[in-house]
Amino acid sequence: MSEAAMKIIDLHKNIGRSHIIKNLNFDIRSGEVFGFIGPNGAGKTTTIRMMVGLLSMTKGDVVIQGHSIKSEYTKAISEVGAIVENPEMYPFMTGLQNLKHFARMSEGVTNERIKEVIDLVGLEKAIKTKVNKYSLGMRQRLGIAQALLHSPSVLILDEPTNGLDPTGIREIRRYIRRLAVEDNVSVIVSSHLLSEIELMCDRIGIIQNGELIATKDLHEKAETNEYIVNLDVYPVEESIDILRKMNGIEILDTSRGIQIKTYKDNIPFLVTTLVRNDIEIYGVNVLQSTLEDQFIEMIGENIIE
Amino acid sequence: MSKLFSLIKNELGKIFVLKSTWIMYVILAGIIIASAVITSTSNFVDTDKTYSDDWKTELQEENEALMAEIEEDEDNPFIESTNMGIIEENEYHIENDVRPYGYHAGDFTMDNLFLTSLISLFTIIVGGGIVANEFRWGTIKQLLIRPISRSAVLLSKYIALLIFTLFTVLFLILVSAAVGALFYGLPAVNPEIVVTRQDGMATSALVPEALMMYGFRTLNIIILATFAFMISSIFRSSALAIGLAMFLMFAGSTAAQALARYEWSKFILFANTDLSVYFNVVGPIRDEMTIGFSTGVIIVYVIIFIIAAWMVFTKRDVA
Repeated sequence: MSEAAMKIIDLHKNIGRSHIIKNLNFDIRSGEVFGFIGPNGAGKTTTIRMMVGLLSMTKGDVVIQGHSIKSEYTKAISEVGAIVENPEMYPFMTGLQNLKHFARMSEGVTNERIKEVIDLVGLEKAIKTKVNKYSLGMRQRLGIAQALLHSPSVLILDEPTNGLDPTGIREIRRYIRRLAVEDNVSVIVSSHLLSEIELMCDRIGIIQNGELIATKDLHEKAETNEYIVNLDVYPVEESIDILRKMNGIEILDTSRGIQIKTYKDNIPFLVTTLVRNDIEIYGVNVLQSTLEDQFIEMIGENIIE
Repeated sequence: MSKLFSLIKNELGKIFVLKSTWIMYVILAGIIIASAVITSTSNFVDTDKTYSDDWKTELQEENEALMAEIEEDEDNPFIESTNMGIIEENEYHIENDVRPYGYHAGDFTMDNLFLTSLISLFTIIVGGGIVANEFRWGTIKQLLIRPISRSAVLLSKYIALLIFTLFTVLFLILVSAAVGALFYGLPAVNPEIVVTRQDGMATSALVPEALMMYGFRTLNIIILATFAFMISSIFRSSALAIGLAMFLMFAGSTAAQALARYEWSKFILFANTDLSVYFNVVGPIRDEMTIGFSTGVIIVYVIIFIIAAWMVFTKRDVA
């Protein structure tokens, strides 16, 4: 469960005189979902391109299931399914024609397997439609289907939530969790928005200016999963009294509604308690997870460099 | 090997799924039919003429009529040169006992040799796009993250381009023969025809002669396609590849011709691309050139083109 599916070792990339990627070192474990977070221009896509051999490395290596992408490219890449940047497919071919095209490029992808991945991403109805008629969400799903064709043990998805509506994001989260938990696939998802992928990740790595500035295990819950919650309730005074009696809740501000800081797991209990005490609840608003606060603190403002 | 076969299948699939490819074939077939209609209706070629067993007398009568035409219209050099050409050919038929046939499918197919320049155009378009389009569509990333070397991807594209070229030339030959048969009928099996070589007239069997001429033109097309393919792979721009290759197609041999007085001009690719000059009255641009020399020059250029494309394609960072 915890051996490394992918090792990023001492990775450097210079383009001209600028150091795009500086000394990246991290491992992706088997069956974990790793979030690769950083502002636009931090080097996420560059790193991903080196992971799949599209870009040469100035120094270092990427080792996938024990095979170096530099010296054993074919063996290493056989373990990988990926979407790099946008899920671009041949626009003049149908979804099925695209999948068959890519299936022919790997060993042993059967027609049953093609059907299986189509079912998994829910594209049965649109699979005989040309891709130029697809919405971005549909292309994103076709991209995932394409990446899964050869049953890779490492899945790399660059900004998979880009352009998706909340329902789409939730669906992708569902596939990804399922792949990691049921099939022990290691998944790397990149995003510039922590909030969009936080819920699907086991661990995140934060990259800024080409350097990995932190990795964080999201299962170490106690300390990290604190949220700031705005409560719009009536009557206010009575609610404050109730909240004061509860454990693990810190009242921050009562000038406009009640602003509290608490753990995510406390929220359902808190709501139930208020309801039992006949408090009228007009709104429970999670303002920001503190993880996101930490993220913003760490990277400063979202500046594209 | 079966992997390479799948890759070639993929590449051919991408060429033939495009509507623009089908339009090319519709245009080609349309022009073949149009040229058959024009040939039958114009009086430039007498397509109705047939010869009986007494063809020698008929040819003599024809020659007398042609001479009379020249004398009638003495000031017209065009009539004189055309008619003299036909008279000479007729005399060759008589002297060498080569029986002539009326205009038939074989002649029509030979006449359609000029349509290979249209195929050059199509092949340049396909070859100029085959790598560059993957970059334009963004699909190059998907293509290169498979358990297949970049060399194999490039090779499959080049082979697909060659297959497309051969298929299209074959299409031209077969449709020409079929349309010709429909309009003019088939000749006797593989008749002897009279051709003009550098050292005068000669006889040759129709089928091998046609295959040789089409073969030379196909070689010409493949050279241009390889050039477009190289530019496409190096600069990732189909417009540049198509533009440059078309420019060379039109200007290349003219430029070689203009430079013919310099000895080094024989090393220019376009002084060598048309091997048919060694089999007709035109001849090479410099007398010392031989068909072996030209073949050598072509091989060297094509290898350079392929190596250049391969080096850039396999080494490049795909951003």
